Amino acid sequence: MKLNSLLLMSRLVKKSPSVCTDLPLSSSDVCNKLHLMKEFLRSSYGPTARLKQVHNNIGGSVVTSSTSCVLLQAIASSQPIISLIRSSILNHVSRFSDCGLFAAVFCLSLLEQAGQCGLRKNVMIKVNKHLLALCTGYLQQEDCGCKVKLDFCSSQSLITLARSVISSKPTCVLTQPESDHISRLAVQAFLLTVPCNIPDTVRLGRTVTITIEGHSVLKSAVFPGLLLSMPENLCFDSLCSPLLVVLFSISLAGDLSEIGDGRIEMHQGVDVDSQILDQLLELGKQVLKDGVKLFLCQKVIHPVLQHYLRCNGVIVIERLGVSLMEPLIQLTGAQPVATLHATIPSTVYGKVHNVCIRQFGSKTMLHLHPAGETGICSMILCHRNETMLNELKLVCQTTEHVLRLTLREPFALLGGGCTETHLAAYVRHKSKNEVSESTSVLGCSQTEYLLAAEAFCHSLELVATSLEHDGGTSLIDLTHAHHWTLPSDVTEEHLEGVIAPCGCGVVESCQNKTRSYLDTKYAGFSPAPLLTASPLQATVLDSFTAKVNALGVAVETANLVLDVRYVIQDVN
Amino acid sequence: MLESVIINSRQHVGLQKVSALAGRFRSSIGPIKNNKFIQDEVSGESVLVCSCFRIIENLEPTCAVGQLVYETIQAHHKGYRSGSGCLLFLAGAWSRTALDCLQRGIAVTHIIKAMSAGIDICLDVCKKSSVSFKDIAVMHKRTATPQDLGLQLSEEAITDASQEAANVHDKCLNMSGHRRVKLSRHFCEAKSEMLSSALLPDLLELPDVAVLAESLSHGCEDAMKLAVEAVQMLSKMNQQDISDPSFDISKVQTCVLPGLPEDCACVVEGCVFLLSDEQARVAHRIKQQPLKVALVTGDLSQTYRHLGFKSLSGVGVCEHLDLSASSKEDEWLEKVVNRLLNLKVNLILTAGLASQKVIQHCCRHHILVVEKVNSSVLRIIASSTGAVPVSYATQLAEPCVGNGINVEIWRDLSSYERESSTAVNISNGRNGGLVTAVITSCIHGKLQALEDQFWACAYRLHHALKDRALLPGAGGTEVLCVHQLQKQAEYHRVEDSKTGSAANLYRGLVLQLMADGLIDYISAVMVSTGRFSAAEARTIVSKQLQDFHKDEIIAGKFLQLILESRREDAVFSAGKPDEALTVKIYDNLSVKQEAWRKALDLVFLVLQTDAEIITGTGQRTEENLMRL
Repeated sequence: MKLNSLLLMSRLVKKSPSVCTDLPLSSSDVCNKLHLMKEFLRSSYGPTARLKQVHNNIGGSVVTSSTSCVLLQAIASSQPIISLIRSSILNHVSRFSDCGLFAAVFCLSLLEQAGQCGLRKNVMIKVNKHLLALCTGYLQQEDCGCKVKLDFCSSQSLITLARSVISSKPTCVLTQPESDHISRLAVQAFLLTVPCNIPDTVRLGRTVTITIEGHSVLKSAVFPGLLLSMPENLCFDSLCSPLLVVLFSISLAGDLSEIGDGRIEMHQGVDVDSQILDQLLELGKQVLKDGVKLFLCQKVIHPVLQHYLRCNGVIVIERLGVSLMEPLIQLTGAQPVATLHATIPSTVYGKVHNVCIRQFGSKTMLHLHPAGETGICSMILCHRNETMLNELKLVCQTTEHVLRLTLREPFALLGGGCTETHLAAYVRHKSKNEVSESTSVLGCSQTEYLLAAEAFCHSLELVATSLEHDGGTSLIDLTHAHHWTLPSDVTEEHLEGVIAPCGCGVVESCQNKTRSYLDTKYAGFSPAPLLTASPLQATVLDSFTAKVNALGVAVETANLVLDVRYVIQDVN
Repeated sequence: MLESVIINSRQHVGLQKVSALAGRFRSSIGPIKNNKFIQDEVSGESVLVCSCFRIIENLEPTCAVGQLVYETIQAHHKGYRSGSGCLLFLAGAWSRTALDCLQRGIAVTHIIKAMSAGIDICLDVCKKSSVSFKDIAVMHKRTATPQDLGLQLSEEAITDASQEAANVHDKCLNMSGHRRVKLSRHFCEAKSEMLSSALLPDLLELPDVAVLAESLSHGCEDAMKLAVEAVQMLSKMNQQDISDPSFDISKVQTCVLPGLPEDCACVVEGCVFLLSDEQARVAHRIKQQPLKVALVTGDLSQTYRHLGFKSLSGVGVCEHLDLSASSKEDEWLEKVVNRLLNLKVNLILTAGLASQKVIQHCCRHHILVVEKVNSSVLRIIASSTGAVPVSYATQLAEPCVGNGINVEIWRDLSSYERESSTAVNISNGRNGGLVTAVITSCIHGKLQALEDQFWACAYRLHHALKDRALLPGAGGTEVLCVHQLQKQAEYHRVEDSKTGSAANLYRGLVLQLMADGLIDYISAVMVSTGRFSAAEARTIVSKQLQDFHKDEIIAGKFLQLILESRREDAVFSAGKPDEALTVKIYDNLSVKQEAWRKALDLVFLVLQTDAEIITGTGQRTEENLMRL
C-alpha cells in the first residue's frame, strides 16, 4: 500500500514518498529473508559450525568467523525487521558477550513457528510471554534440573565453562590439548583479576590481550601486570624501585589538534610549532625534575620531546591507544594528564614496582610489574595464522566476560543442547498439566494455548538440533530430557553401543533409557532431576546469566516483531 | 583468475577454488621454475615473475578464497622467503583430499580429525628424519675422503660415524678426568688417544656453511654463492663464535644495479648506494676520510611533520605581508645547512626522502645526502657510530652525530646506464657489521627475480643455522611421509575390520588420500624439472614406495632410499647431472613444517566455510547471491 496520493496535492514533491508495508510478517519477501537469516545463523552455531567469510569482494581483508558479533555486524539489510532483530541481538552480545547465536536462532525460529501455526499474533505474544516466565522461573529454582552450582573451591568447573566457550568456535582450529591450555589460561587470568582482599567496594581488574601471530597456541601465557609494545632500540639502565609514572591522555605531538575545529587568527611571524614545542620541553623539564622514570602517552609524542627525555634516562612510550588507558590507570594509580598548559601536580603521578623486557617471537614488550595488588594481567595469545588468532582473541574475551558473570550468579547451565531439550520437555509437561489455569489467565482457547506452547518448545529444540551440522540426528531421552546426537553414519542397531554420553556429558548411555527423535512427538513427561551424586561431571557448560538473558531477549524481540503492524520506510 | 575453471556447484566451491588456484602454479614449484609474464590488460603493462609468491602477488585475487590464499602465502613469505610453492601446491592437493572425502560422505568433523592426525604423522616424520648438523659434518667428511668417494652412504655408516662423533665428544668432555675414559666400551685407552688427536678437530666441527649451502641451493647456485659470501663476511666481521654460527638477516641489505652483467653480482662489506652525478661529485670529494654522520628518520624537508602530527586547517594570519612560502623554506634550509656545517657533518642518511633543493644545497656545501635508507640499516649504523637517529634535521646536536664513517667510490656506472650514476660504499671500516649483496643484471625485468632468489637462499641458510638440522631433500622427506601415512592407513583399515567401527575406516581412507596428495607433489616437482613425464614420475615414485615397503623391516634402509631418490632426482640441481650426483640435497626443517602446517590450516578454514558475506558497496552480480 502506498500513501503517495495523500502527499501529492498541488505542489511538486521532490522527495519520493515513504513506503508503507502492512503486516510485514505476512509478506513472503520478509518471511524468506527471515528464513535465510535463520538458516545462515543456525549453520554457524556450535563447535562443529560452518564458518562464514566476511569480505568486500574488492580485495579487502577476509574475516572468517562464526561468532555472532562478527556475523551480525557484517549483515546489513534494507528490511527494518531484520535490522531490528540484528540490533537487539547485538545489544545482548555487547552486554553479555555470549549466547548471541542462541538468542538469534531462537527468536527467528519463534517467528517462523508463529507464521506456520497460524494463530492470532496477540495470542502468540501472550503465550510466549507466559512461557518465558515459566522458563525463567524454573531456571531460578533451587531444584532446576539443567542448572549446576559452580564450586569456586575448585577450578574444575570454571575450566569446563571456559572450555565450552572456547571450543564453541571452530575457526580457532584448536586441538584438545590446545583448548585445554587456553581454558586454563583464561581461568588463571580471570582469577588474577579478582582482588584477594575485599575492600568496601570490590573492583575487578582487567585482562589485556596481546596477540602474536606465527607461534604455537601452546606458547600462549598469562602474566600479572601489563605488557606494552616497546619502541625500537630502547635500552635503560637498572632503575630503582618503585618507578614514578606519568600518563598523558592528550596528544603531545606538538600540534593544535586538541583544540577542536574553528578558525584561529594569529599574528604574522608567529611560529606556532616552535612555541608548542617549547611548551612541551618545559613539561619535559618539570617531569624530569619530579623524578619521573616512565613517560607514557595515549597518543603521539613529539620526537624532540622523546629525544630529550630519553637522553635523560626516561623510558618513553607513545601511541598506547585508548584501550590501554584504563588498565594503566588501575595498574599505576596515575591520573591521566589532559593538558600541557599547566604545571603537573605531583598527585597525578603513579608508580610501578619494576619494569623488565620480555621477548615473544618478534615482539619485544616492556613488562610493568605493579607496585601492589591491582588485578591487572596480560594474556599473550599465540596462534599460527591471523584468522585463527583473531577468532581466538574474540573467544577469549567472551570467556573472560562469561567467567566474570559467574561472580554475580554462581551457576552454569548444562551445555551441548541439554538445557534446551530439558526446558522444552519441562515447558511441554507444565503447559499440558496447567492448561486450564493458564488459558483462563491468558484469555485464549486451550487449543490455541497448546499450539503456541508447541511452537515455543519446538523452537527451543531447534536450537539444540542446530548444534549438529554433519547430518546427524538429534535425540532426547525420556528420563532426564537431555540431548543426544546420533551421527549420520551409525545405524540404529549400533545405537546403544556407539552413542557417547549426552551433549553435556552428565548422563551416560545405558540400555534402560528410552530415546526419541527430537522431531517426532513423544509423550509428555516431567524431566527427572539428576541425582546430586551424579557419577559424571558435566563436560560442557553454558553461561547461566548470558543464557537466561538471551532467552528473554529472544522472546521479547520475537514478540516485538510479531507486534509490528506497519513498516514505514523513507526511501529517499 | 578462476574464470576458466569449471566449478561444480554441487561440491564444495571454496575447496575447488583453492585446488584450481593451486593448479595454476603446478609448473612453478620445485627448483626449476619457468618464468611467467603477467600482463595487465587494462594498462598493457606486464611483469616477468618467477616465484609463486610474486605470481599471486601480481594476480591480486579479489575473491574471498583467493584473498585468504594470498594472505596465507604473504604471511609465510614474510618469515621464510621460500616454500610458498610447496604451501600452495599442498593446499590444493589437500583440498582435493577434502573434496574427495566429502564426496564419499565423510563428515567434516571426521575429515578434520583425520587430517590433523595425518599432519601430526608428517611432522613427526620430519622430526625423526631430520639430519643434525653433526651428522651432516660427519657425512661430508666421509664422502670427502678419497677412498669413500663414489660410495653410497648407508645408514650403518651414518650411525657409525655419529657414534664415533658421540664418543669423541664423550672423550672430549672427559679430558680432564683420564680415568673415566677407561670405562668407555668403544675405545681402549691407547687407541682413543690416537683417535682423539686425529678426529677431534675435524669431527666436532659443524658443517661448513658452504657445504650446507650446496645442499640447500635448489637450483639457485649463483644466488646461494652470494648468500654464503654474506654469511662468511658477516661472521668474519663480527668475530663470531665458530661453535655457534648464526646468520643475522637484519644485517644484510641488497642493492640492485641494473645494466651490469649478472656475473658482476657480489657481496660487499658496508652499504652500497646508488648516487646521482651531482651527489657523486661530493662523494669524490669526501671519500676515504673519517666523516661525521647524521641520521634522520623523517624526510629532509621543511614541510615534513612526524607521523601523527595534524596540521591546522583553519589558521588565518593577520597583517598579511607578502612573504611567500618559499622564503620560509629557504630560511629552514639555511638553518639546517648552518647546523650541519657547525657540527661538521658531511654525510646525512635519511630513511625518508629529501627534496632536490635540499640535496643540491647540501652538495654545494660538500654534504652528501643519501635518501631512502632502510631503517634497520639506519639502526645498525647508529649503534656502530654512536649516532642518534632524529626525526627532524633541526633537532641535530653534538651528541646525535656519529663518527668514523667512510665513503668510498665503489663503482662508476656511467658507462652502463644512460643516466650516469655512481655506486658508493658507506661503511665504518671496523665493525659496522653490515654487508650488501649487489644484484646485477642487464635485463631489468629479471632483477626482482634475482633479488628474490638471493633472499630465498639467505633465509634458507638463516633457518638452517637456527634449526641446527636439515631434512632429506629431493622428495626424500615426502616419500618417508607417504610411507608412514600409508602404513598408518593400512593399520586403521585392519583395526576397522576387527572392531567394526566407522571412525577408523575414515581415518585410514583420509590418511591414504593425504598420502596421494604428497605423491602428487613429488611427481609434480619431478615433472617440472623437465626430465620426466607425469607418468614416468608417478612410476618412479610408486616403485620407490614399493621397494621401501619391502625393505621396511630393515630400518637401516631408511636413508638409503632417500639417497637413491636423490640420484634419481639429481636433475633437481639444474643442468649438470654428473656433478650433481655427489651433492646431497637437503630442505629446511622449519620452512617445510611451517608450509605444510599452513597449507592444512588453510584447507581447514575453507573446508569449514559454507557461506560468504559480501559487505560494502562493491556491487557485483553473481549467481547464488542472496540478499538480506
